[in-house]
Amino acid sequence: MLALCCVSFSQNKQILYGFSEIPQSLILNPGGEVNNDWYFGIPLLSHIHINGGTSGATIYDVFANDGIDFNTKLQNAVNKMNSKDFFSINQQLEIFSGGFAFGRTYEKNEYLSFGLYQELDVISYFPKDYAILALEGNQNNINRVFNADHFSANAELISVFHVGYNKKVNKNFTYGFRGKIYSSLINLNSTKNRGTFVTELGDNNFYNHIFDLSLQLRTSGIVSLTEDSSEFETKDLTKRILFGGNLGLGFDVGFTKKITKQWTLDASLLDVGFITHSKDVENYSVQGNYNFEGINPFFPETESGQTADEYWSEIEEDFEELFTPDTTNTTYTTWRPIKFNTSINYAFGKKREKDCNCIKDESGYLNAAGLQLFAMSRPKQPQIALTAYYYRRLFKGLSAKAIYTIDSYSFNNLGLGISANLGNVNFYLMADNFLQYKNIYNAQSVSLQLGFNYIFSKNED
Amino acid sequence: MIKNICFIICTSFFVLACTEDIDFDQARDFEINPVIESSLVFFNENANEFLINGNEISAFQDFVIVDIFNDQFIIDNLVKTEFKFETVNSINRDFELQVDFLDNNSQLQHTFTFIQEASTNNNDVFSSYTETFEDVTLEALKRTSVLIFTLRILPGQTINENSLGRIELKSLAAFYFNIRDDS
Repeated sequence: MLALCCVSFSQNKQILYGFSEIPQSLILNPGGEVNNDWYFGIPLLSHIHINGGTSGATIYDVFANDGIDFNTKLQNAVNKMNSKDFFSINQQLEIFSGGFAFGRTYEKNEYLSFGLYQELDVISYFPKDYAILALEGNQNNINRVFNADHFSANAELISVFHVGYNKKVNKNFTYGFRGKIYSSLINLNSTKNRGTFVTELGDNNFYNHIFDLSLQLRTSGIVSLTEDSSEFETKDLTKRILFGGNLGLGFDVGFTKKITKQWTLDASLLDVGFITHSKDVENYSVQGNYNFEGINPFFPETESGQTADEYWSEIEEDFEELFTPDTTNTTYTTWRPIKFNTSINYAFGKKREKDCNCIKDESGYLNAAGLQLFAMSRPKQPQIALTAYYYRRLFKGLSAKAIYTIDSYSFNNLGLGISANLGNVNFYLMADNFLQYKNIYNAQSVSLQLGFNYIFSKNED
Repeated sequence: MIKNICFIICTSFFVLACTEDIDFDQARDFEINPVIESSLVFFNENANEFLINGNEISAFQDFVIVDIFNDQFIIDNLVKTEFKFETVNSINRDFELQVDFLDNNSQLQHTFTFIQEASTNNNDVFSSYTETFEDVTLEALKRTSVLIFTLRILPGQTINENSLGRIELKSLAAFYFNIRDDS
């Protein structure tokens, strides 16, 4: 199975996807079905999303109060993980959002939505070889090639302003797209490290130490914060959120296609976009090759009358040249992680209401079940997850969705979400990985989304 | 109203979520003990390299200025060091290597000498030597900023253009670290 070969989770909001009672589901598929006339999100409370995860060791693995020596647990955790294991944090906070239907008055089939949200996204792969070198040194690792690419990390704090258009072409087909302006507040990017370090048995001496390194860390928005003379204030942060950071552009597209009365197919592609980092940029790089076999103090190879100290100074200079990072302020571009969602859905179980003859197609069925696929680009390899779900309208204004998600490290991810309407106020709450909540510190992934909206639907009974 | 609902639902989530006993203070026990080995000095020379204008040179000396041992990281975390030497001699003369450790003011902090025996029949004679730096000697090493190497061919049969054999020396330094939170 495809999902088996790749680790996953993170920004997968599998419960919210397709949950059309909740306006924020349009963020996951701009071509999703809309069943309100207008809405606005309660500012700062309309969408709160938190997700943290590790594909490797958990907090409990390392910090359990179990009498085992901390360093033993740390060593075990290091041994257990490989360089494809990662830690990730994703957090979103919607600052404001809204949407309204428009078009011909008797059948408003177009919908415009917009909003501004803040997003923090951090991913760091486990730098296995660096950890081994730090833990053990090279003495017991002669001939072991230490890979520089094991260090790979990206952290970004951005704000996203977006406007989306959605059109229901006919009762069987809806499409939509969304334009996005990104404003990056902070970015740290070190995903292009290459090279190796190895200690081999030497020809002239015990060892030959071979450095072949190409390391790179790119930052934006950091220097102004960390400088001693920094005059950074909160108002500068506000400015960066409102297009004052490093800017980028992106888009989302999506559709929903009704195949039969009961079968529906939908898909979306999100965050196809980039950010150009030109302001407040500082990049560091270490590049070069060096072989060190030791020094020959009495008979320098050059035989140019060089003293041993001159010879040694040259080696020191070479080392310094290799390891002193070059600092540049070159503009760079980062790509946003692209997300792909698709699902096939089957609706069933008609509502039996004797006193109502106004059943709409969309609301005619009480149940739905389906399969969803989520994929997302990441620095080393894409993350993929497959979800099976069951959706049920419990009673008027209250619906729930239960999910089961699989990926390579977890076959027991159960989640649940509810959406409740109390008058015009909509509230939703969803979380996954329920089985891991029995010891949250041992959870490899914890995800929570909640929010409040004010929704007006004139088609409601 | 909204706040109440939110509160109830959120709390129920966190009540459902349990934890087992964990202790973040353990991080203070963090301790790693890497051992870094690095090639040091080497040479491999035929007997006739010890001649200048046909005359035997019986002592060679040179020095290197090193600041690595005074580095704060080394001072804080280095707990033991070994200098290991392996020598091969097929010249019919004993030789010795002396290494002197001087501080910034050219004051001698430490010294050691080892002898490699002669080869009477020009076959390889092997020898090895390890100098260990711990406690007092390690402190001396951490004060060192100049290393003086002296190679002496000890008295014996004179070397000339036709003398056979060679002297080979390999060496490494093993640095034993103990890195932990001492605060």
